[in-house]
Amino acid sequence: MSARERARERAAAGAAAAASTEVSERLELSVWASTVAMIAEEMGAVLVRGALSPNIRERRDASCALFDAEGRMVAQAAHIPVHLGALPESVRAVRAARPRPGDVFLLNSPWQGGSHLPDLTMVEAIADGDRVAGFAVVRAHHADVGGMSPGSMPQGATELVQEGLVLPPVRLERAGVPDTELLALVLANVRTPEERRGDLAAQRAACAAGAAGWRSLLAREGRERLGMITASLLDYAERRAVARLRAFEGAHATAEDALEGDGVSEHDVPLRVQLAVRDGALHLDFAGSSPMVRGNVNCPIQVTRAAALFVLRSLLDDDVPTNEGIARAIHIVTPDDCCLAARAPAAVAAGNVEMSQRITDLLFAALDAAGVAVPAQGQGTMNNVTFGGAGWTFYETLGGGQGASAQGPGPDAVHVGMSNTRNTPIESLERAYPIVIERYVIRRGSGGAGAHRGGDGVVRAYRVLAPCTVTLLTERRRRAPRGAHGGADGACGENRLNGELLPAKCRRELVPGDVLEIRTPGGGGWGPERGAT
Amino acid sequence: MDVGGTYTDLAAIGADGVITARKVLSTPDDQGVGVVEALRALGAPRGAVERFVHGTTVVTNLLLERTGARVVLCATAGATDLLELRRQERASLYDLGAHHPAPLVPPELVVPVPERRTPAGVQQALTADGVAEVVREALARGPDVVVVALLHAYEDAAHERLLADALRAARPGLAVVTATEVLPEIREYERTATAVAEGYARPGVARYLERLGARVRDAGFPAPAVMTSGGGMRAADEAARHAASLALSGPAGGVVGAAAVLRAFGASDALTIDIGGTSADAGIILGGEALVEPGGTIAGVPIALPRVLVETVSAGGGSIAWRDDGGALRVGPRSAGARPGPAAFALGGTEPTVTDAQVVLGRIGGAGMSGGVLLEPRRAHEAVGALAAALGTPPEATAEAIIRAADAEMARALRRVSVDRGADPRRCTLVAFGGGGPLHACALADALGMPAVLVPPYAGVLSAVGLALAPERREEAMSLLEPTDALDARTFRAHCDALAARTTGAERSWVVRARYVGQGHEVEVRAGPGDAGPEIAERFAAAHLARYGFALPRAVECVALRHVASNPGARVAFTRDASAAAFDLRSRTDHGGPAPTAPIAGPASLALSDATLWVAAGWRATPLAMGGWRLEREGAA
Repeated sequence: MSARERARERAAAGAAAAASTEVSERLELSVWASTVAMIAEEMGAVLVRGALSPNIRERRDASCALFDAEGRMVAQAAHIPVHLGALPESVRAVRAARPRPGDVFLLNSPWQGGSHLPDLTMVEAIADGDRVAGFAVVRAHHADVGGMSPGSMPQGATELVQEGLVLPPVRLERAGVPDTELLALVLANVRTPEERRGDLAAQRAACAAGAAGWRSLLAREGRERLGMITASLLDYAERRAVARLRAFEGAHATAEDALEGDGVSEHDVPLRVQLAVRDGALHLDFAGSSPMVRGNVNCPIQVTRAAALFVLRSLLDDDVPTNEGIARAIHIVTPDDCCLAARAPAAVAAGNVEMSQRITDLLFAALDAAGVAVPAQGQGTMNNVTFGGAGWTFYETLGGGQGASAQGPGPDAVHVGMSNTRNTPIESLERAYPIVIERYVIRRGSGGAGAHRGGDGVVRAYRVLAPCTVTLLTERRRRAPRGAHGGADGACGENRLNGELLPAKCRRELVPGDVLEIRTPGGGGWGPERGAT
Repeated sequence: MDVGGTYTDLAAIGADGVITARKVLSTPDDQGVGVVEALRALGAPRGAVERFVHGTTVVTNLLLERTGARVVLCATAGATDLLELRRQERASLYDLGAHHPAPLVPPELVVPVPERRTPAGVQQALTADGVAEVVREALARGPDVVVVALLHAYEDAAHERLLADALRAARPGLAVVTATEVLPEIREYERTATAVAEGYARPGVARYLERLGARVRDAGFPAPAVMTSGGGMRAADEAARHAASLALSGPAGGVVGAAAVLRAFGASDALTIDIGGTSADAGIILGGEALVEPGGTIAGVPIALPRVLVETVSAGGGSIAWRDDGGALRVGPRSAGARPGPAAFALGGTEPTVTDAQVVLGRIGGAGMSGGVLLEPRRAHEAVGALAAALGTPPEATAEAIIRAADAEMARALRRVSVDRGADPRRCTLVAFGGGGPLHACALADALGMPAVLVPPYAGVLSAVGLALAPERREEAMSLLEPTDALDARTFRAHCDALAARTTGAERSWVVRARYVGQGHEVEVRAGPGDAGPEIAERFAAAHLARYGFALPRAVECVALRHVASNPGARVAFTRDASAAAFDLRSRTDHGGPAPTAPIAGPASLALSDATLWVAAGWRATPLAMGGWRLEREGAA
């Protein structure tokens, strides 16, 4: 046999192997996707049943994900869209710290894999003998991480260090051995250390569940085949995303929006995007957006990416697996100095909750202008309300109206965009805190009129029974959620103290008997109202 | 009797404990016809049946089809929109236009009640004028049923009762439901929604039971008792007043039956999988009992009453296989159901289903299926072949992959019920039943690392067996918001006695729902007369540790006290029937008669009555003297 014949034979054998790989890929993709999703889901179950604080247990402000040894995200169980696609950044930061098998990291620094400080992210470098076989990641929003105000969601912060304890990736465990001194340091810097200890224990258990699941998969499939499976799953998700984007090939448009103040001043913070769908990918150029601002509405680039990913995800079918493949279809460019790609020492607490909402609004507006069917704008804010009194803090966010779409009216009284946390039952709240909920009703008529009406916001009125401080981080108090295709705008939100209007972002001292009323925005309407001219 | 969409299953237990089983086709247009036919198929003489229990989907259907009563809701002023506000979560994370199903009471049928309690006491009293105004407004809306649900009434229901009495006085005979009589527990949304579901379903349930009762009595059988979501049996007249507790009646029977078989088998912890034509139900048995927990949602309506925990996924024999726009093979959630059914049924179905894949691989034999359906394997080969051609994959590999995809969905459901409860599947037996359960059993046990599988006797009709066995069970509950360190034995005994006095039953038990102060989730612990706060706190900490992996140095508070009064169900003797045909070694058919002496090594397909058992390669099946089979991996001790 000549060398050339041998080479030809080898090539043929290779092609046959490739073809059979492809066959098994087509047949097994859904099984693989289900298997890895099951592990991520299981991590979530372990976290939620073990966590102490209502914010994780009840409101489920948390996400779990699995990564392979190369740092590729294989699966994510997300309850909260703002965590979508932001976790690869955490693993990148951990990998830069040269993890050893069995090391467990804790981080929250927005400059090294975090988002805003209350989101404590735990990363376990999964040990497989003497090598790192992958990463289990659990991010959870903790009720307090220190800083200038209880709840660590301050209004008026201008530097990151005011917002709480900053953690670059640090080792909570070295090769499985806990560093109790480090944990003591963390707990010494927060207001509710025992609750934090409980929540961190739940995060640790969730990481362990993910690591166990990944190791058993590795044992069953072998390293090489698991690598092939991972690659196939990412390619598959990318294929589904690209197939969807191809339907809008060539679409392009520019859109503008703004935040109503940065928490320090009331001046608008302008945002601008140039969007184009090219070669089955979504290209976003944020040139023209505001530089970093003094207040804390800045966000690190991974939050911007999460918002873009959420917008793309909402265009895809629900069954597309959530992994890093989808993100490959998004290309983001930001100016050097930009509030959407914040750098040290900027403050960022509100960026995660409010700027992220504005980015989704901006991107949906651009898609609409480019001719892609999307809903009109929803409430575009999370209506962050934090009370703090002697020995207690209470944080919640409020739903509002979703925008209407070509298909029908917008849903009422839900979180739109980057959050999906649940409400706090009136009876539980009143038993736990010196607050009476005087009114919690749908804000009828607040959705924009149209062929399809925008969803209505809510009215929630709190009467306080003890002296306390309230901090509000809200938006869409002067720039209404816009209607689409001739539909009317939704109503702006309103914050009132004893009937007097309050700014969108503020901090007030309350005395017993004071009534704070939050009226959340309605969603925009879609299409001209019948009978209107 | 288990009345399903496709089949009606029936199991009769004789005075000697011997079981007789039948399966007939359902009559969806008028369920009563099928019920009477099934009873007749049993061949029991008139008057020979002592008790007749059935599982019903009547409440599920009322909720799904939104065909219940016109309910007017009276709610505390300022909190009138609870049903629309729900818990604020959206219907779908990514489908931004998705809506929750509409509430059972539209906003125009909600009447505000001028009253308010807070944890500190009555803040605004309900005046005579206020009552009169609310009564007028409520009656003006033309209600079939009025539901009264007020804030913090779990602490003191005086305002609810005041209003309910006034409504009944103003219109004698009007059905009035107070939320705290249905669910006297904290959390206003779940309590109100459950009470509204009760009011919404009650008239329909009463009509259904009357009609069915008349027909069954005419045929010479006793009035139909009903299975509740909690896995107990209630007489018809009681069931009609506890409509919401029937919402998950259907799937509860299977887990209760599985628990009985598991106890006879000598094991205590298990996961269960009941696989039918359109869906699979995963359940869990701990300590020999089906796990009963409050919770569950039907058609967007939360029902916060105790229910046998069941997680349903849309994967079953009828699940359709297809190719998606990413070029991957997919299975479900669409199902061919009973009509047109799998291609092999030759009832008009052409799309390949999980059942067709089983036929292609020869796991379901050429013999007939339940209810007289004859298989046409050629049609299964055609349907699977067409999909394989579209995918560019070999037909047999495609058929195997279809089954694996269905397995993966079911494994996920099993995983969910176990992990959420802190149970390790590797220490549980898998009980696989329903027409499709035994076909998927080995693969599911492999996926979850489970050591053994129990295929119960009467696997195809186990839900009906569970119904026949179900104990009579009544529940009473009260709110008990009290830190454990403030709860002395005398007070606690008084509460237990008060609940017990409300109902009858030979066996009594009590559970306290407790939590760490500040937590939002409760854990149930057993307690009873004689106990006091410290014992309850201790048991709570142990249960918390077992379930969540940690306990805390933190105060414990009680939330509610529930009481269960039960009378034992029928006694049953699980045994092979010496008079039935012996195991047929050639066709590998188990008629329930004498068993083969040696285990059967996989791969092998065994025909059971109303089900097929697939023993995968590497597994062996050992027949059990109690009927049914035990499956283990080759080489296992």
